[in-house]
Amino acid sequence: MMLASEDKSKVDMNDMIQRDTEEDRQSVYRVDELNLWYGEDQALKNVEMDIPENQVTAIIGPSGCGKSTFIKTLNRLTEMVPSVKTTGGIYYRDQNIFDKKYKVELLRTKVGMVFQNPNPFPKSIYENIVYGPKIHGIKDKKVLDEIVENSLRGAALWDEVKDRLKENAFGLSGGQQQRLCIARCLAVEPDVLLMDEPTSALDPISTLKIEELVQELKKNYSIIIVTHNMQQAGRISDNTAFFLNGEVVEYDKTSKIFSSPEDKRTEDYISGRFG
Amino acid sequence: MGVRGSYEQELNQLKKDLFVMGEQVIQAFSASINLLQTQDKLEMEQLIENDAKINQAELTIHDDATMMIARQQPVATDLRTTIVALKISSDLERVGDLAVDIVKASRRMEEKKNEEEINAILEMAEVAQDMLKKAMLAYQERDMMKAQQIATMDDTVDKKYRLYIQSLFTLTDETNAEQTTQLAFIGRYVERIADYATNLAEWIVYESSGKHFDLN
Repeated sequence: MMLASEDKSKVDMNDMIQRDTEEDRQSVYRVDELNLWYGEDQALKNVEMDIPENQVTAIIGPSGCGKSTFIKTLNRLTEMVPSVKTTGGIYYRDQNIFDKKYKVELLRTKVGMVFQNPNPFPKSIYENIVYGPKIHGIKDKKVLDEIVENSLRGAALWDEVKDRLKENAFGLSGGQQQRLCIARCLAVEPDVLLMDEPTSALDPISTLKIEELVQELKKNYSIIIVTHNMQQAGRISDNTAFFLNGEVVEYDKTSKIFSSPEDKRTEDYISGRFG
Repeated sequence: MGVRGSYEQELNQLKKDLFVMGEQVIQAFSASINLLQTQDKLEMEQLIENDAKINQAELTIHDDATMMIARQQPVATDLRTTIVALKISSDLERVGDLAVDIVKASRRMEEKKNEEEINAILEMAEVAQDMLKKAMLAYQERDMMKAQQIATMDDTVDKKYRLYIQSLFTLTDETNAEQTTQLAFIGRYVERIADYATNLAEWIVYESSGKHFDLN
């Protein structure tokens, strides 16, 4: 007998109670028919996504599905790989970042990135934070001090390190180092934070601190996070995109993806039946 | 067996336990209606005592579902299956309570009187029983169409109930107030059971589709 769940067409949809509270939000990114190849291998296939501002957008999918490639493409990190070829467009604030005239330095100032393993510079906590602003020409000690305090406060690290700013960043715990890396991003006043599995190398408490921080940060920044941790995506994101074999299988509100996804492959993945 | 074989077994067990509970409740309701006619005092006592088993079945399902949420973090259909098990077990437990209420009201009635009114209750109860049976079958088969048919049956019960209550007002003086009150209560209990069956149908649609569907 056919399962009724596969026969939804017979249900009178007019009678369904719709609870759509969609708000009109500006897109920080618009991805248009993005294809990407590493040599002969196609890693991204016709990716189309609008990423709203001041929200957390999670990218999930099994290993090798293209999610890290996708997030790196958003600030053109993939072009560091010589064999990479892309077609289509990525519009950041309505400007195509692949445009020849587009300044990649500007993009990477506006779009910060945090990686899986904390990667502070082998310098003091203070120097880690002021590194970017100094490159941008800020020399005033008072201004730099303010940036350090604000950035560390923004990354919920200030209270833990304010008395040892001159100490080497490697002396911090893994979770603190990761928050330092986030603070380092914040120091150049970005618009977007890309996070590529930012908690996968951290202990559970440090992970929860980063998750809390992400919730705080989305008030001022748009956040795109790649995560292997489905519960994490469920906890912290507003929207979730499920990638599989380089394609976006489903992209919707996280509440929808985790309660009643449209595609069976999404359901099988988030309920742990493959991947 | 898939990646999460033992988890799937737990989910299936939850559904099986709920189905067994459903059978117990339908049996209790059916017996309570038969006792209206037979007035067998011993069986009445047994039915009231047996309600503890139904209550225990609900608690077991509740504990198992809670443990699954805590340990397995179900999502999507799995989550709905778990939540729906909680909701349906709670509704079934209430039907069990109403079966007990019917028996208690029945005990307070005078024997072999008001045959016409009792026949009207039997008619309503027959539809309500069919609704419960259909709901449990729809639950087992995840059949949304069957679930939706229950709404139409509830309309039938509601109409019968309205006529029944009206008829109680035309009873002669020979029927005392206590008897009339108990008759009215029993009619009301049966009507409520039909409402619970409709609730079950709504949860069955939700489990399959993820959508809330107001069938009442």
